[in-house]
Amino acid sequence: MPSEPIDPPGIGWTRVSPRYITVRLLGWAAGTLLALAVSSLPLFLLAGMLPGFPPVPAWLLPAAVLAVALWRGLLIPRQVRAIGYAERDEDLLIRSGIFFQRVMVVPYGRMQYVDVSVGPVERAFGLASVKLHTASPATNAAIPGLPAAEAARLREQLSARGQARLAGL
Amino acid sequence: MSTAEGGPAAGPLAPDAAGTWHRVHPVSPLVRGWLALAAIAYFFGRDWFETLFRGDQPWAASGGRIGWTAAAAAAVLLLLVGGYLLSWWFTRFQVTKDHVRVTSGVLFRQHRQARLDRVQAIDIVQPLLARIFALAELKFEVADAGESAVRLAYLPLADAQRLRAAILAHAAGVELDPAHPEEAPEAPEHPVLEVPGGRVAGAAFLSGTTVFLLLVAGAAAALTAALDAPAAAAVLLPALFGVGAGYWSFFSTAYNFRAAISPDGIRLRYGLLETRAQTVPPGRVQAVSVSQPPLWRLKGWYRMRVNVAGYGVAGENAAARTTLLPVGTRADVMQMLALVLPDPGTEDPLAVFAAGLDGTGSAGGFQTSPPRMRWLSPLAWRRNGYAATATALLMRSGALWRELVVVPHERTQSMALHQGPLARRLGVADLRLHTTVGPVDPRVLQIDAAAARRLFDEQAARAAAARRAGRPERWLEAPPQAGPPDQALRAEEQPGERAGGGTAPRGAGRMEGGNSAGPEDGGTQDHGRG
Repeated sequence: MPSEPIDPPGIGWTRVSPRYITVRLLGWAAGTLLALAVSSLPLFLLAGMLPGFPPVPAWLLPAAVLAVALWRGLLIPRQVRAIGYAERDEDLLIRSGIFFQRVMVVPYGRMQYVDVSVGPVERAFGLASVKLHTASPATNAAIPGLPAAEAARLREQLSARGQARLAGL
Repeated sequence: MSTAEGGPAAGPLAPDAAGTWHRVHPVSPLVRGWLALAAIAYFFGRDWFETLFRGDQPWAASGGRIGWTAAAAAAVLLLLVGGYLLSWWFTRFQVTKDHVRVTSGVLFRQHRQARLDRVQAIDIVQPLLARIFALAELKFEVADAGESAVRLAYLPLADAQRLRAAILAHAAGVELDPAHPEEAPEAPEHPVLEVPGGRVAGAAFLSGTTVFLLLVAGAAAALTAALDAPAAAAVLLPALFGVGAGYWSFFSTAYNFRAAISPDGIRLRYGLLETRAQTVPPGRVQAVSVSQPPLWRLKGWYRMRVNVAGYGVAGENAAARTTLLPVGTRADVMQMLALVLPDPGTEDPLAVFAAGLDGTGSAGGFQTSPPRMRWLSPLAWRRNGYAATATALLMRSGALWRELVVVPHERTQSMALHQGPLARRLGVADLRLHTTVGPVDPRVLQIDAAAARRLFDEQAARAAAARRAGRPERWLEAPPQAGPPDQALRAEEQPGERAGGGTAPRGAGRMEGGNSAGPEDGGTQDHGRG
């Protein structure tokens, strides 16, 4: 893959915590188990009804699910390492993605409010997510997997900068 | 508009310091609930008529049954009317210098308060029945994108208009005569354009609805021929209903469309049965799009839509409310663009916007997709592109369904660069600008990755600069950085200009100047400073 990213040059990205890889992998494992269980239902049903080996298509479904899940699981560490943010003077930059890359800029003056959320798994790893909201619902500016202290600092920093550069709608 | 009503109780709907509470017009429940009443009348009336036409004596024969029917009807009616009356009695509103407050609800009380200077738009709506009673609903929108912040249904039309003028005057920051605070003059307005009825009919006929109808008719004909069963043509029926509804909704909302400009912003009026008058104060338009369905190219017509915070996309009549111009010629489009963007920020706005409307290539300063994209977008690659003026970003797209989106720099919320695997291989990227909820989706598609990155940086800088120089929320106040505070104060204390006729011709001249002669910097602050 040609690996020239679309990031603006000369930005010092702050990366999220490597522990977030574990959080994502745990979520991925749970999701994969569920998907495998559901996709294996035909297999069990057919195995119960017909004596002998169940037909091949019934095997194919869970196999395909597993293949996709493994591929996604392999991507997770790279995806997490691809998440980054940078605080500039006027705005916050957030990047994410390897295949589908996205670089977003959110001006401090446009922030309506900042969310800090912690799920049970994230809490166990001492992580938190920060989400910025502007007047536009298209602004999907979330930074997951921040260490709790960094999340609190970022929230305070963003609020202070938003206050200083407050603009209307 | 407000003449000699000097007494404390005379101007019933004026914002006052005392904070008098008002109720909406007593007929309102009837106007709102007429459908339920009509349904009841139909249900019981039909029963009665049938009895009558069977030749029986309606009151004598089966007297018990009729009695019960009448009693049930009366009970339901009483409940309904009682409910309406209670809700009317418990709904009160108050307009003060800074806020509008509404309390409503019988069991679950609700108290709502909205800041006047946060107003995004004010509508005066008159459904058919309300027009008969000369009543109107006043809708006050703030940036929420959900339901209207404040809906006052219904007020006498004159009161609604006066209240709108008062709210806009307070929101604009006009200092009123302290002796008569209720005398908020209606801002003078200057008509800009109206859409002839014939053009509305023609536009409906040439719209995408007709294309759809032709496609369905062709499919039905093919089906009939293939199956040799004329009954197969019946599949046309549901499509016909949909098409009829499409024509009707376009015609009824675009009918008698008129636009005007006043110091309080853009005024739009339209409607066949239900009429609506919208006021969008200056600087409240977040994004505007000019689009052209393929068949409209024959006549050179365009449609304009806007994103205004508070209008949203899901609310009732959102499609009509977000329409800035249902169908117009290129001259109309240029005039409306001049209203939305008083300062186009370029030397030759006509050429730039014309290139955006139906130009291709780099005419007008547009930067398009690189030629290597012709394999992916054989028609659109010459159109896909952007151009930046000093005040706005122009985004052009579509070869068949042409569209031009204009976003003022100071209205950019946030933005994002996107690039998928295929786009990376081709060395292109997309830029999306985020704006408030609405029908306009500003984005630049498939431009060279290096150019996209440059645009991303430049646009962030331009938006930041525009925000710093942004105009105040109270649009007739002088901006804070314009001068020492005493100057700003003086500017506030000149309501006479607003009431006098002086503003209208000047505003008009500025508008047409923006259209033909070029930008006049600072035009937006003219009204306030005098």
